[in-house]
This record gives sequence, C-alpha cells and structure tokens, in this order.
Amino acid sequence: MSEMASKVFNWVNTRLPIVNTFERHLSKHPVPKKVNFWYLFGALASVVLIIQIVTGIWLIMPYSNTEEGAFASIEYIMRDVDYGWVIRYMHTTGASMFFAVVYMHMFRGLLYGSYQKPRELVWIFGCTIYLVMMAEGFLGYVLPYGQMSYWGAQVIISLFGAIPYIGESLELWVRGDYYISGITVSRFFALHVVALPLVLIALVFLHLVALHEVGAGNPEGVDIEKHVDDDGVPLDSIPFFPYKVLNALVGIGVFMTVFAIIMFFFPEGGGYFIEMANFQEANPLVTPEHIAPVWYYAPYYTMLRAIPDPLGGLIIMGAAVAIFFVVPWLDQSKVASIRYKGIYSKIAIALFGISFLTLGYLGTVSVTETRKLISIICTVMYFAFFLLMPIYTKFEKTLEVPERL
Amino acid sequence: MKRIILTSLLFFCFAELNAAEGGPCKDYGECDQFKPALNDIASLQSGASVFLNYCYGCHSLKFSRWNRVAADLEIPESLFFENLVFDSTIKPGDLMVGSMPSDSANWFGVEPPDLTLVTRYKGDDWVYSYLRAYYEDSSKVYGVNNLVYPGTAMPNVLEKLQGNQILSCKDVPVLASNGGEKRDEYGNTITKQKCGYLKVKDGTGELSKEEFDSMIYDLTNFLVYVGEPARADRERIGWYVVFFFIIFTALSALLYREYAKDYH
Repeated sequence: MSEMASKVFNWVNTRLPIVNTFERHLSKHPVPKKVNFWYLFGALASVVLIIQIVTGIWLIMPYSNTEEGAFASIEYIMRDVDYGWVIRYMHTTGASMFFAVVYMHMFRGLLYGSYQKPRELVWIFGCTIYLVMMAEGFLGYVLPYGQMSYWGAQVIISLFGAIPYIGESLELWVRGDYYISGITVSRFFALHVVALPLVLIALVFLHLVALHEVGAGNPEGVDIEKHVDDDGVPLDSIPFFPYKVLNALVGIGVFMTVFAIIMFFFPEGGGYFIEMANFQEANPLVTPEHIAPVWYYAPYYTMLRAIPDPLGGLIIMGAAVAIFFVVPWLDQSKVASIRYKGIYSKIAIALFGISFLTLGYLGTVSVTETRKLISIICTVMYFAFFLLMPIYTKFEKTLEVPERL
Repeated sequence: MKRIILTSLLFFCFAELNAAEGGPCKDYGECDQFKPALNDIASLQSGASVFLNYCYGCHSLKFSRWNRVAADLEIPESLFFENLVFDSTIKPGDLMVGSMPSDSANWFGVEPPDLTLVTRYKGDDWVYSYLRAYYEDSSKVYGVNNLVYPGTAMPNVLEKLQGNQILSCKDVPVLASNGGEKRDEYGNTITKQKCGYLKVKDGTGELSKEEFDSMIYDLTNFLVYVGEPARADRERIGWYVVFFFIIFTALSALLYREYAKDYH
C-alpha cells in the first residue's frame, strides 16, 4: 500500500511541484532565528483571514441581501440557524481582530523599518491590503442593515459628494439609488463577498510571494544574507518549517484564547465591535443621536470631522491612508530598526502612536470645541511623523548595527 | 519602562472609552444597574408571563418563535399554549408577530416598537430603569410621564400593580465644599428641599415596592433572554472553548520548546 501511495505521489509530483514548493517556501525557507512578538501578527492576520472567509461562506447561506430581509435574516442566523450565533460572532469579532492585528503588524513595520530596501514592494502590497480591508469592512458593516449600517453608509457615501464636478453623480452611481436602499445592499453584498475578497486574496498572495523573495526582516535590522554557510543558507536563520510554524502556533494559541474570550463573553465589545444602535433595524426617518464609526475607522473619521470643509476633510483622510505607501522613500535612515535609530525617530514614532490612539478615541465620542482642537493637533502630529521623516531620519545620529543577529 | 508607559496609556484610553457621555437615562440620572440571571428559569418564566399578559397586546417579539421560548423556558408546550398564548390560530413554530393592527400608529402617535432586541439597542439597565420611572403628570395625554424617557408615548400599563407614583420632594443635607454635611451652630444638619424623587402613594398599588421591582426584574430578564436566546449557551460553551485554547497554547509551547533546542 505504501509503495502504491509513493507511486501515486511521485506521479503527481513530477507533474506538480509539490516537494519543490514545500522545500522552497516551508522546510528550506530561511527566516531570522531571533525575532520578537511583534513578528507574530502577520501569521495572526492570515489566521483571521481564513476565519473571515470560512465564516463568511456560512453566513452567505442564510443571509438575505434585500432591504426587507437583511436585518431579519441576521436575527434568523442568531436564533434559528443551529450555532448560527457562533458563526456570526466569529465573523464580527474577526472583523475587529483583523484590524487590531493589522494595525499591530503595520506598527511593527514602522518600528523596525520593515519597508526599507529591498522590502518596498512587500510594504506596498501590504498597504494595498489595508486599503482594500477598509473598503471590505465598510461594505460588510452595511449588510446587517441596522441603524448604524444605514447611517454610517449615508455618511461615507456622501463623502463622494464632496468631490467637485462629478461628486453628486458619483454618489448616485455608488448607491445605485437616490437614497440607500435594497439596491445598495445587494451591490454591497456582491462586492463584499465576491469582488473584494478575490482582490484581497490575490494581494495577500503577492504580499507573501514578494516577502519570500526578499526574506523576512528582524528587529535588529541586520541583513542575515551577509553571512551564509557553504550552501548559501544564512547563518542566523532557521527553516520556516517546523521551527517558525511551531513558534507561530504558540502565538496563535494565545491569540485564539483572547479571540474566544471576546466572542463568547463580550461579542459586542462594549458597543465598539457591534454598536448598540445596529440592533435596531435601519430607519431612514430616524437619525441616531450619535453616529460613530466602528473603532477601526475612528482615527480617520476624527480627521474628517476636524476639517470644516468636506472636500478638505476628504483629502486629509485620503492622504492619511495614502501616505503609508511612500514611507519607504520618506525614511532616509542608514539603519532600519528603531533600536539603532536616533532620538528624533524615537520621539517621532512615540508621538505618532499617541496621536493615532487619541484620534481613534476622539472618533468614537461627540465633538466639543476642546476635542476639535485636540483633533487638529493630533492630525498635524500624525502627518508630521511622515512629512518630517526625510529630515529627522537623515540628520540624526544613529548607532552601529551589529554584523550578526 | 517604555512598556509600562505604553500599557498605562492604552489602559487610560480604554478607561476613557468606557466613560459614559451624558446619561442614557436622562432625568433619572444614572440608570439602575441590571444584572441578568439567564439561568434562573423561574425568573424568566415569570417575566414571560408578565410580558404576554401586559405587553404583548401592543408589542411584538417578531424575531422570536413561540415554541423556542417555551422550550428554553422549560415550559411544556401544551401548558404554554393553554395558559400564555391567547390566540388559538397560532402554531408553535410561528414568530411572535404581535396582535396590533397595522393602523396602530394612529392610537398612540407612534407604532409600539417591536421589543425583541430592545435590551440590545437600549441596554438592559435602561429598560429596567424605564419601566420603574413613570410618574403622574397631568399635562400628558395619558396622565403620566417618565424620567428615563421624558414624553414617552406609552401609558403606564403596570400602574394598577405599581400604584400611583409621583415626583416628590424631600429634605436633604446641604453639603459643604469639603464633601461633609453642613451643620448650624447647634450642631444640627442644615437641610434643603430637593425635588424629583419618585415615590408611590401609599396603598394605591397591588404590589409592594419590592414585589414590583422584582416583577420588573423578571420582565427585563426575560427581555434580555429574548434579545439573545443563545446567550446562556454562549457563556456556558465559552468556558470550554477558552479552556481548549489554553491547553492548546500550553501544548504548542511545550512542543516549540523541544524543537527550539535544535538551534539554541
């Protein structure tokens, strides 16, 4: 039997590169042997992506993408579908955890200069993934067709209206109707479950292919390719499989424990993962007292609100996301890791972190004069981190990077 | 050190996030805290009975099914349909769509809302406080108003049980700037009159205050259950899942440690 099995395997392997791919990308793929917990979030993001796809497929089955049926079908999933609530809460918790994990992953990149040469493309694919995720999250949030789905969509779609000349027609084109309706829901459904996931999966594939071409970075910013053994394998590396996989497995275990605690005991996340108003069916005649985006858009929403002019707000918001794409060329430092960068880089990234968190908080509360002022200050700090980067990274004193990891 | 600062910053942010902005309970002040007891079947049963007797006439539970409620509340279906379902055309698997005609908006100015998810979009604290915050107010159509929801369109359906609740005044101690009670030169506490306290007129209700509060507790508890019938299951199963992942993490950590010996 085993002879038979190996025969079959060989037959397939000569026609499909199974062993080759396994070796190239897993058992012989070298990764730095010393990294820290920040390097786990990429693996966690792929775990969440799989969770979202699998739960998503099961949610599509009982979901109804119509104006009359959408909200009721969610309650049908929560009540009448066996363990439907497990699937639905996994998906809602997954959405928030996806962003949490990706934000950590991106911050890791900024901390340790993961975008520096030769990893610019890895970074750009990553930024594109983030952009698509934001659209994907927004479209998905509209589908339950609760009050916050409706009014959140109203706010976001009206942003298109701020674009000069084509704004209004664009708005109409996106909605497919003069106001948000069943047409909007069903097209958002198509985009959310087919179009954007395809793009997302393709981008994740490219992100990984590019990463495997240039190799993973490390928190020291050491180029491990400089010291290789006779076979050309970096001395400071370990094979991805099984070592790195097992390492990631521990991280996945911790992450899934947190995930389970949230989804089984705090699925609404205190109103930040599922907003309370979204348990009320969409009603075009009643505006909720306080329209707040889900937490992961909050920083950008704050920027939008801080600028009195809608077009200006839209530009600032777009620029805040777009600016990530050019980070590889803004950073002029000779070293990659924050550990060896100078004091200005350290202050800059700390201020950036604080401004991002503060903007996030301000996006979830109502506006007051003081809060508006703080929003503007934080928006300036946010952009200063990027725009001043060429200056402070070029002129600051950096430390010597060690040869080996 | 950096980590401590970061963690405390994060903590601060989340503590800030949870701080409520202006009370949802309006003139009532802080909502009364409600702690659901979804495993207390007796409480849920009594809540269901109150709901079907006093609320279901106007309010539907349109996402919930009759037989699911009977099963979850451990009421035999025959008993349930004999005593709590007042319409013989209803089948066990039907949704609890209510019994109001579609023109009911004309009666109250608004259509009585469906209450399946009321504890989820208003909060259980809010419901528990609201139902106990009616007071007599002759300026209103139904002669009552509500501290939690000023100008509410719903009459106080439970008035017969609760009695006539009024806003009353009482003497409260004047507080000094240091937080202590102010006293006059003889050592007596200085008081001032403060109004806005809810008080039931003696002997007007069929239930005592404690009995009424406990009835509203059961009713709110039932509404929390209807809001998410799987919640008790969710919290029960959750422990097993968390336990599984803790074991999973421990085992994978041990395995990783063995393998890591290869290169350390």
